[in-house]
Amino acid sequence: MKRSPFDLRGYGAVLYKELRHVVRDRATLILAVMLPIIQVTLFGYAINTKVEHVAAAVLNEDRGPESIAFVDALRASRTFDVVAYAGSRDALQRAIIAGRVQAAFDIPPTFTADLRAGRIAPVQALIDGSDATVAQPAFAAAGAIGASLRVRAPPPVDVRARVLFNPGLRSANFLVPGLIGLIMQLITMFLTALSIVGERERGTLDQIMVTPIGALGLMLGKITPYAIIGFVDMLLVLAAMRFIFAIPIAGSVPLLIVLSIGFLMAALGLGLLVSSNAKTQLAAMLGVLALTLPSILLSGFFFERSLMPPVMQWLGYLIPLTYFFEILRGIILRGASATDLIQPIVAMLALGGGVLLAASIRFTARG
Amino acid sequence: MSAPAIAAHGLSKTFGARTVVRDVTLEVASGEIFGFLGPNGSGKSTTIKMLCGLVEPTRGEASICDLDIRTHGDAVRRTIGYMSQSFSLYGDLTVAENLEFYGRAYALSRAKRRERIDRLVAFSSLEPFRHQLAATLSGGWKQRLALAAALLHEPRVLFLDEPTAGIDPVARRDLWDLLFRLSESGVALFVTTHYMDEAERCARVGYIDGGELIAIGSRAELKALPGVTPPGTTRFSVRGDDAVALLAKARGAAYVRDATIFGDTLHLVVAADVTPAQMAQDLGVADGAVEPIEPGLEDVFVALTRERRKHP
Repeated sequence: MKRSPFDLRGYGAVLYKELRHVVRDRATLILAVMLPIIQVTLFGYAINTKVEHVAAAVLNEDRGPESIAFVDALRASRTFDVVAYAGSRDALQRAIIAGRVQAAFDIPPTFTADLRAGRIAPVQALIDGSDATVAQPAFAAAGAIGASLRVRAPPPVDVRARVLFNPGLRSANFLVPGLIGLIMQLITMFLTALSIVGERERGTLDQIMVTPIGALGLMLGKITPYAIIGFVDMLLVLAAMRFIFAIPIAGSVPLLIVLSIGFLMAALGLGLLVSSNAKTQLAAMLGVLALTLPSILLSGFFFERSLMPPVMQWLGYLIPLTYFFEILRGIILRGASATDLIQPIVAMLALGGGVLLAASIRFTARG
Repeated sequence: MSAPAIAAHGLSKTFGARTVVRDVTLEVASGEIFGFLGPNGSGKSTTIKMLCGLVEPTRGEASICDLDIRTHGDAVRRTIGYMSQSFSLYGDLTVAENLEFYGRAYALSRAKRRERIDRLVAFSSLEPFRHQLAATLSGGWKQRLALAAALLHEPRVLFLDEPTAGIDPVARRDLWDLLFRLSESGVALFVTTHYMDEAERCARVGYIDGGELIAIGSRAELKALPGVTPPGTTRFSVRGDDAVALLAKARGAAYVRDATIFGDTLHLVVAADVTPAQMAQDLGVADGAVEPIEPGLEDVFVALTRERRKHP
């Protein structure tokens, strides 16, 4: 009755049938290949964290030459698009309340006179704060435009900042490398968990348990095809990143691939953990989402981790994806070597190995 | 005399505070078809699962061809075949691929796989469907495929958990023909079923109710059990146009101990001193319509279950 957890028998048989499931299930296979491509396109093109083309309305009560120069400066900026000229303060207010514009500028009647007299000329800028990611840069840009008009003499200290590694400050360069890890985790977790839970749901697991197929053979046979799919997806996203978005890979590609395989182990382990706790495929899907959503938020995919409260940072340390993001961005954007990244590499491998070991013990013990 | 194909002694299973199977003791010989009957939830499937090594017994022991299920799990798995209640092969694989998978699962060599798959496909007449997806087979053919898959490693003991549930009568009969051929070749069959006509085909029958094996033996032995036709009573069948009306009349007669409708006839257990003529008169039927009968297996199980529930 007792089965050895290290019994590898039946690996070939399970792999044989599992590969056939994958080939027969065209819809899933196509999705597994298309999903990364769709995601890359979405994240690469649609999501842009750089704030440009903010719709703005202007009320010019001055109409003097200096006020016209100010409006020209607004129009010339990439941040604002002047889309409306208001006739009154009330109309200006309305435009922003109705959501037709996200910024409104009110130039007072004394603007030109004040400037010519060397006085400070106030311009009222109203920014719609409902979307903080737009409001903050818009706020800063509005101030900068004012400053560029006013300051003729050079400031006493001239700080010239140079941006390293991502000179265009493109958000795609930050998001797409992270996407490699996210897609690998999602695809492998989903496919592994669904396949194992589906077998239990259909009653075919019992039929397997009366054969001499060993626990380890069953587990490895089931996860091998999904490990391959996860790996192919990683190569797809990497290629799309390099050739479609022209994001150069600064570091070593072989190192990247080897470490991706390390991360794959962690993702498979998470999928196994979900599958051994779920009775139905629906429960398995919810389980995958429950693990993935926090890991997107806490691992630094969108938000810089050092800006999070300490508790959230600590939680992030428990997520394999956190370390993989550091590794991906390190190698791809900064050209970091294995020695540079020794900390996240060791942490990721230790965490991933632990998860996989725990998952397989749980899987084989339940039989 | 060789060792019994299946031997269980005091087999019990407890889930938490609930005892699902209590002290089941039974033996099945090689080549014997043993019918295992009982209502839903009586512990039939759990007993099968314990014997197959899918569920660990809480108490008691069992062996398959002299191999202890606790200590020789691996050898037991090579000796038994198991066909579960619901179709549990892969619908998205073809007939041939399903068989190939089980052939590999038992680590049969390529040559052996080919030879046995050919033989079993012929045995179960699956040849025309060989490259069809299993999901597209009808219920009866699915069960033949499941049977073929369970036989690839040539087991000496085959467990079938309601193999004919939900398939049509013709397919049912065909499947039983295959089972008889297997038993002739020396395979012991342990079959659970709901159908009494199937139970009548088994050489020996066990009846489980509430987790306890309340009767076991050949059909003749079971029918002769004292509880089935209590001392001082006899069994009769009464034919009539309206069995329901007959039942109402029969229940009014003081000498009738038990009355059950079987199709268009009524089965009665009556006091031994009543004559058929008297009954015919009381029930308003022709003299020839009342005949003494032997109890069927269904009568046996109805009687045993009632008796057990009256005196638990």
